[in-house]
Amino acid sequence: MVKHQPPTRTLACWCLDLKTMAYQEAWEFQQAVVRAKIEKNFSQDVILFVEHAPVFTLGRRGGLENLTVSEAFLEASGIQVIQVERGGDITYHGPGQLVVYPVLDLDRQRLGITELVFMLEEIMIRVSKTLGVHAVRNPRNRGVWVGKKKIGSIGLAVRKGFSFHGMALNVNLSMTPFEWIHPCGLANVSMTSLEKELSERPSMQAVQKLTKQHLKDVFGRSLEAITREQLDRLIKL
Amino acid sequence: MKELSELNFPDDVMYSDDHEWTKMENDEAVIGISDYAQDQLGDIVFVELPQVGETFEKGAEFGTVESVKAVSELFLPVGGEIIAVNDALEDTPELVNNEPYTGGWMLRIKLSDKSELDQLMNKSAYLESLKG
Repeated sequence: MVKHQPPTRTLACWCLDLKTMAYQEAWEFQQAVVRAKIEKNFSQDVILFVEHAPVFTLGRRGGLENLTVSEAFLEASGIQVIQVERGGDITYHGPGQLVVYPVLDLDRQRLGITELVFMLEEIMIRVSKTLGVHAVRNPRNRGVWVGKKKIGSIGLAVRKGFSFHGMALNVNLSMTPFEWIHPCGLANVSMTSLEKELSERPSMQAVQKLTKQHLKDVFGRSLEAITREQLDRLIKL
Repeated sequence: MKELSELNFPDDVMYSDDHEWTKMENDEAVIGISDYAQDQLGDIVFVELPQVGETFEKGAEFGTVESVKAVSELFLPVGGEIIAVNDALEDTPELVNNEPYTGGWMLRIKLSDKSELDQLMNKSAYLESLKG
């Protein structure tokens, strides 16, 4: 008898925690996962969790005009600026910020970009709410806000129907590097974090666990852990 | 996203897996993105197109479409030399959302190899592929 195959739409998402990883390395790994999905090496969607070493990234159309310090100052700080293919303008990533990269088959899910952006915002709003932080959408600027301060950002790319890049939620990171830029290209925007909004410092581990729970609900998918070695084997097929 | 029945797929263009359409006009191919693709992207705020005179192979990335917070790459359904790009998209990128098959056209190219047209899909084959 043929075993019942669940429809691919409801396949579990594989999730992998890359821990702390340099931006460039995580970016190359993401691209390798997208390439393997385009080549149909496997059909599961993949969700990567990572914290980056300090880095500034620019979206595809972003320029250095949104730096508030000189390039020389930035160079002396030792923090690199990398231009990438995602949407959105300049942002900062660093340890203490939870970054999530969903590599999803948008066509199979019949998922539009606007819906995906909404879902990623929803996940960050629910995680914040569970911890006691009232975060909301802003109709004029996407992302997630606490009052006039931004706590979560989104920047996506789509290649041959697969999403990559994703969302970044400020958990307990150093906020100083955000002062060197106009985050997301918006002047007069300041950033906040869960730590700044709460009296106790939330742990990254707890926030990641909450994010997985809310992601399951918002995406309507189950999550299965996969190891780096397993994924590497499938990428090299 | 909208249901497939709510989207418009004209009979007089050919479609690619990457959701581009191609229409032959006097030996030249006019290219844009399908109603499905524009609906998936949402409100388009910027379209990046190549220079006239550049030549690309079939499947090469020729530009990008940026919607709110997302950049999507565009791939050529057939190879050839770019002989015109739709300059109107610079100031009115929303034409791609509102008129994907007419005012929202992107490129006009001189084909390198007409047999590449045979690999494109007609409306019914494209609809089948969208149903997955």
